[in-house]
Parts: sequence; C-alpha cells; structure tokens
Amino acid sequence: MPSLLIAGHEFQSRLFTGTGKYASANAMMDSITASESELVTLSLRRMDLKHQTDNILQPLQKKGIKLLPNTSGARTAKEAIFAAELAREALETNWVKLEIHPDPRYLMPDGMETLLAAEALIKKGFVVMPYVHADPVLCKRLEEIGCQCVMPLGSPIGSNMGLASRPFLEIIIEQSRVPVIVDAGIGAPSDAALAMEIGADAVLVNTAMAAANQPSKMANAFRLAVEAGRMAYESGLGERRIQAQATSPLTDFIGALS
Amino acid sequence: MKIMLNDAPYEFTGKTLEDLVIELDKSQQGIAIALNQQVIPKSLWCSTGLDEQSLVFIFESIAGG
Repeated sequence: MPSLLIAGHEFQSRLFTGTGKYASANAMMDSITASESELVTLSLRRMDLKHQTDNILQPLQKKGIKLLPNTSGARTAKEAIFAAELAREALETNWVKLEIHPDPRYLMPDGMETLLAAEALIKKGFVVMPYVHADPVLCKRLEEIGCQCVMPLGSPIGSNMGLASRPFLEIIIEQSRVPVIVDAGIGAPSDAALAMEIGADAVLVNTAMAAANQPSKMANAFRLAVEAGRMAYESGLGERRIQAQATSPLTDFIGALS
Repeated sequence: MKIMLNDAPYEFTGKTLEDLVIELDKSQQGIAIALNQQVIPKSLWCSTGLDEQSLVFIFESIAGG
C-alpha cells in the first residue's frame, strides 16, 4: 500500500490516534500498539504541582511514535499560538494540531480564528494540521496559506456519530492537494472504513478506541477497517446505481425447458 | 522570594527557572515554561533569573485527542 506523506514525513499507517480518555497509561499503550498507529496526539495543561502524573511520553517515544501536540483548550487564535509555542518547547516538535473551540458544549472549531492562527504559526515555522469543520472553502484557504494537511470533522468530537459531514468531506477530498485526515466523531470501524473508501488520506480516532470495553481489540478492529477501506479506494469502487445489472449472463435456458 | 506560580503565591529559594524546576522535583521532559506571558526555551532556563514580580506558568504534556 503506498505510504502517506505529510511535510516530508512518511507514514505506513493511515490510522492516527488520540491518547485521551484511557483508563490507564498501560491500556493506552496496548491500544496504540494494536492500532499500529505511527502518530498520536497529546495535550498540554498547567502542571499539577501537588501530584505526579503518569509519564506517557517515554513509552511513546521508545516506540518511535510521532507526537502531535494539540492546542485544545484554546478559544482564540492568540491562545492557540501561545499553546503551540509551549507545545513546541514541551515536546520538541514544530508539528501542531491546531484546534480552537470556544464553545465547550459542541466543541465546534472556530474557522476564522483557525485561519488567523494557522497563518501566524506557518510564518513561525510550524507544520500546521488544522482541525476544522468539513468546510470545503475553509479547507482550500488553509491549503493555500501553507497548511500541510487539513483535518475536517466527521461529526462532533466524542459523539460517535460517524461521517455526518460526508457530502462535504467528499468535496474537500476531491479538491484538496494536501492530505485530508478525517478527525472527530468516528465511532465505529465501519465509519473509518467509509472515510477511507471515499478517499480520505487518513483518519484520527480516539474516543471509540479508548472508551471501548476492550480498547486494544477495538484498536485492532480500526486498524483492519482503515486498511480495508484504503485498499478498496485504491482498487476502485464500482459506481452506485438504482437499476440492477446482472452478474450472471441472462440467457433463456430455463425458458427452453418449459 | 515570593513569585506567582501557576496562579498561586510560591516561596522560592533559588535564582533561575532551572532552579525552580529542580526544586519542584519535576522531570524536564514534556514540560514548558512561560515567564510573564513569554515562552522561555529550555536552553535559557539556566540563565533566566526570577524576581518578586515574576509570573511563572509551568505546563506539562498529558493525554489528549
């Protein structure tokens, strides 16, 4: 299967994963291992000075997994730029998943602030991976200013609603000259497979794996689904039609018996 | 001296940001520091002095989606 290239970095796996919501660091590592994911997202927060937190960095780095810090928690472009600069120091990477959602109920990404922040961060030398609505115009604008990929949502974060935005994802995929990574809302392996079948370059999954009763088994299911979906896309799916089209030759040999 | 650390007063006996991180007994891996709203690169922690007016925020990387 041809590999995926983002900002000169080659990925064999087209399944990216989040590290949030796992019951333990061990469960997270088992799940990521089973997913064969080569890129995981992380967040930043103000340090808890009273308690030691689980060190999740070492096992991830040991496995050679690429770390992608996000700007989650930022409500404006200014906050996101600050978060990206902190993340660059904390994780020693200039890659950033730019996400700006001012509303905690629906966590809808703010397209205008995202465009402003992306422009500023690209000037500062970041590889910007923006999490956005499935908005074809915005995705094109982000590509034009130099984003290395776009990350349109399937449905709200953590909602497990799948590809509610499918018609718009298809437009984005058709128009885009940078990789399209479907992020958020992918609730089942079938959603991931569908995203890949319609031509997404990768998917990012977190909640559906982390919240499963058996996260690593679910991660394996997602791995298979992403591979199957991509293979189907590369093979060329048949056209959908209302009318039947016979798969066996329609001869009148039965009629000849009567 | 008394500095502000993550929005709370903190009595600090050292001089630099590096002293502060050592005093807090935190791993230097996966953390970032902002002093008076400016992100300070790790390479400058040892030469960045603190005073009574210092507003310090320390951030750590955690799991997230």
